[in-house]
Amino acid sequence: MSEKLGFDHVTKVFEGSGSEPDYVAFDDITLEAAPSEFLAIVGPSGCGKSTLLRLAAGLILPTRGQVVLGHKPIDAPPPGVIYLFQQYAKSLFAWRTVIDNVMFPLEGAPRARRAEQRAQCREYLRQVGLAGFEDKYPWQLSGGMQQRVAIARALAANPEVLLLDEPFSAVDALTRMELQTLVLQLWEQRKFTAILVTHDVDEAIFLADRVAVLGARPTSLKEIIDVGLPRPRDQFATREDPRFLKLRHDITASLLARSDGHVASV
Amino acid sequence: MSHRSEARGMGLWSLASPALVLCVWELAGRLGWTNPILLPRPLQIIEVFLGLVSSGAVLSPLLHTVGLFMIGYVIASLLGTALGIAMATSQTLYGLLEPLVESLRPIPKPALVPVLFLFLGIGKATMIVLVVLASVFPVLISTFQGVRGLDPVLLETARTLQISRSRTIFSVILPASLPMILAGMRVALGLGLVLVILAEMLAGEDGIGFRILDHERSFQVREMFAWIVVLVALGGAMMKLFEIAERRLVPWRGRS
Repeated sequence: MSEKLGFDHVTKVFEGSGSEPDYVAFDDITLEAAPSEFLAIVGPSGCGKSTLLRLAAGLILPTRGQVVLGHKPIDAPPPGVIYLFQQYAKSLFAWRTVIDNVMFPLEGAPRARRAEQRAQCREYLRQVGLAGFEDKYPWQLSGGMQQRVAIARALAANPEVLLLDEPFSAVDALTRMELQTLVLQLWEQRKFTAILVTHDVDEAIFLADRVAVLGARPTSLKEIIDVGLPRPRDQFATREDPRFLKLRHDITASLLARSDGHVASV
Repeated sequence: MSHRSEARGMGLWSLASPALVLCVWELAGRLGWTNPILLPRPLQIIEVFLGLVSSGAVLSPLLHTVGLFMIGYVIASLLGTALGIAMATSQTLYGLLEPLVESLRPIPKPALVPVLFLFLGIGKATMIVLVVLASVFPVLISTFQGVRGLDPVLLETARTLQISRSRTIFSVILPASLPMILAGMRVALGLGLVLVILAEMLAGEDGIGFRILDHERSFQVREMFAWIVVLVALGGAMMKLFEIAERRLVPWRGRS
């Protein structure tokens, strides 16, 4: 199950308070993730990448233009659009066990289905590699495991669109690779639309079908690059593919906004 | 583990200073430095105290005080939590209630005793209302700050997961701000106890406060001190119970 999610001429202006001037976060961004596409958005830090995802989630509304899910403009958090936060620890419920965190999105359903749903949530936990941790509390787990709980909860919410807000930036490098592979596996099984925001160019290429590159402030869309690397992706084969290196070069150059010869030279 | 044994070590040391004071006091009494009529020795007081306990005479006043206190404290805790969450989550309710809260909160509650006597009469209702008035504000303020201080990510998680407003309040906001609610309830515990004792002294027919004042007026100084010991034990026991409950209810505090 998946839907397309698009930004249609979206401008977001944050009103300055008092004497501060208004702050234009984005100017006229048009970008669309097709159903079941994995779209990555990269940009220099502070360019408001997360703001873009918050718009997609309906947590904030655009000043001009609209964000469209399927064919409907988003004016509030829509069902089926699930946000995976960078601060996973703050997004989990410390007073609930792991399994009850995963159950959380399902608890609006009739009680008769509880047992069935619980079994389903156990299955999600098994898929993210947390079988046996159902009755622990989030604060008893490592950072990487906490993000796995958040991923399992996102699966339980049955996402049509999964928004990933630098979800692996707070874990160590090895855990990050494991989580990247996990997300790709789940995406290939469930075929939701995925939009990833990151400042990690390698991560964007490794995961995505297309990479949208954002420019400096006021942020606008600079270019969209087709990745075109074969799937399933592999942490070794994909990253060692000459095309991967070429893409990394091009995107990094685009981000640094310099001509080819000057990239990364000091 | 090391923390726990450290705390235990501190516990032993923390007994040293009261023990020293009691020794000096006892010694001063025995050496005749103090007036035995006004200031009985600790061992004499303990003897009367143990008599109160073993004869069961302690029970009725103790239950009277604890009963009045608990009724007021539970009402105050529920009311304070409800109002705190309401004011923190609704701008309208904040606008309506804030002036009222801010005008009542700074009043030293004993000043309201005569007013309450006038309107509610001299009786249990007055005492319960006093405990409520003393306890409600710390809970309310702490709850309000707790809810306002919640991480936006937590509330946004609830919003993106399509959780209804009422479920968000009961399943997210309430448990997430529980550590702060309990911090307010801990302050309220002390204040409420002070007020129930004061109320019993001024208007009681029974209870620990009444006993302390009654024995003072009859010059039964040892008995008076023994009832003060009862009060100290009660306060200490309630604090200890509260800490145990707190650790059970919010085991994640300071860890996430």
